[in-house]
Amino acid sequence: MWIPVHIDENRPEPLYHQVEVQLRSLILSGQLAEGTLLPSIREFAADLRCSAITVRRVYQDLENEGLLRTRQGTGTFVAGIDQSARDEFRLERVVEAFERAVETGLQLQCSREEMERIWRDAYARKRAEADGDKGGQR
Amino acid sequence: MNRGLYGLEQAESDKAVVALRGAAVRHDGFALGPLDLSVPAGMVTAIVGPNGSGKSTLLRLLLGLAPCEGAAEVLGRHLSPDSDAELKERIGFVTELPHAYESHLTADEKARFASLWYPSWSWERYERLMHGFEADRTQKLGKLSKGMRRKAELAVAMAHDPELLLLDEPSSGLDPSAWKALLDELTRYMDRGDRTLIFATHITEEVRRLADYVLFMHRGRCLGLYEKDRLFEGWRVLAVQRADGTAGREDAARLLKQAPGVQGAQESGPGICRIESDAPEETEAYCLSAGYRILSSQRMELEEIMACLVRKGGCGKMNPLVIEKVFKQYGDKTAVNGLSFEVAQGGNLRAARRERRGQDDDDAHGARAHSP
Repeated sequence: MWIPVHIDENRPEPLYHQVEVQLRSLILSGQLAEGTLLPSIREFAADLRCSAITVRRVYQDLENEGLLRTRQGTGTFVAGIDQSARDEFRLERVVEAFERAVETGLQLQCSREEMERIWRDAYARKRAEADGDKGGQR
Repeated sequence: MNRGLYGLEQAESDKAVVALRGAAVRHDGFALGPLDLSVPAGMVTAIVGPNGSGKSTLLRLLLGLAPCEGAAEVLGRHLSPDSDAELKERIGFVTELPHAYESHLTADEKARFASLWYPSWSWERYERLMHGFEADRTQKLGKLSKGMRRKAELAVAMAHDPELLLLDEPSSGLDPSAWKALLDELTRYMDRGDRTLIFATHITEEVRRLADYVLFMHRGRCLGLYEKDRLFEGWRVLAVQRADGTAGREDAARLLKQAPGVQGAQESGPGICRIESDAPEETEAYCLSAGYRILSSQRMELEEIMACLVRKGGCGKMNPLVIEKVFKQYGDKTAVNGLSFEVAQGGNLRAARRERRGQDDDDAHGARAHSP
């Protein structure tokens, strides 16, 4: 199976870190369901054009975190993840996104009031767009 | 600069499938080694280096085809002139040039002969490989094109599922679809995790797609065995500029000398210096503190890294066997074109100008001769 992990060679983070972050996110967001059989270390390494050593390290790390499990002779599977871990991860990602936005705001000397107004407007606009889409589909 | 060593340590922590200690091959006009090298089992190691760097000789050494000095162990057995057939049964190989004496055979005839030799031979595997490579089985090997013959040779070499596969420029002459089939088959071959592949190549894309380790060869010497991903992570090329928008040749020379990790530097465009570093974070920090702006920071290609390694290791450091030869001819001090040579510890051959024997001379050539 092909896993949508994208390596950006010009980013300074080490390869294994890039692969690990993306694979963890695919699992915690539920995009890779429990029981999904992952590619073998060798196949995944060939897809990503990285070494088997890197993939082995990612699989080991995520296994230690309880996100993957390996069955001897069969392969590496996505483990069952409890809802609280998923929720935590979901919120963490939103918090990160907000933090980045606030950082940009502070760099550009936005006041708290300005940022709050931007947030309210953005929320209202996106909400309306989403509702509009649903309306259109009906 | 310690990254190479780090790679070696990593390699040695895995079980070694090849262990060389002071192994050397000498024949007319060419000297390989002495090499100290451990190649990890279960991994793919790509040997890269310019023509004549010793890649094929190294593979021949591992096959027991080139008589060598020193100690060489393959699959846990000492190589000796009368290396047993049992060891050879566990190895598969494709040499750089096909054997002329097989030219009158068809692929199937060669396979029939090989099947008698290898107890683990599988006709099913042979059929699958021949089919995958779209190889011709009816014409005599000598009548086939280079690429077509290659396909048949590869199928025969892999049909007994050897523990160790040695391939010398395996894709030479292959069309794109056969090349893809070969990469897929080699991935499948490695999949179980207990097989080892060592191959010599000039094709960067093969290294990127297949290799776990990269072994650099130059003039019969090994410039280092590196874990591939660490290698690509460890080297970067930076474009820097002074805050006032100028940067000239003097800047390049200064950065080469002073900034940590810099292995090459040149003025690459108006006001821009391009610097190659094997410690990019340190280099970046130094440049920023010295009043430069970093315009970009990118991965380096394998060829570029190799050029740096050659400059770094190859210029100051020469093959002791070659040095030995020079000294036999000229005595222990010699002068060529106004340069005098002297041998420093560890086989470092230093060229120093007679009149001004300073460290600056090496730097002036844009190559800093670090001893590893």
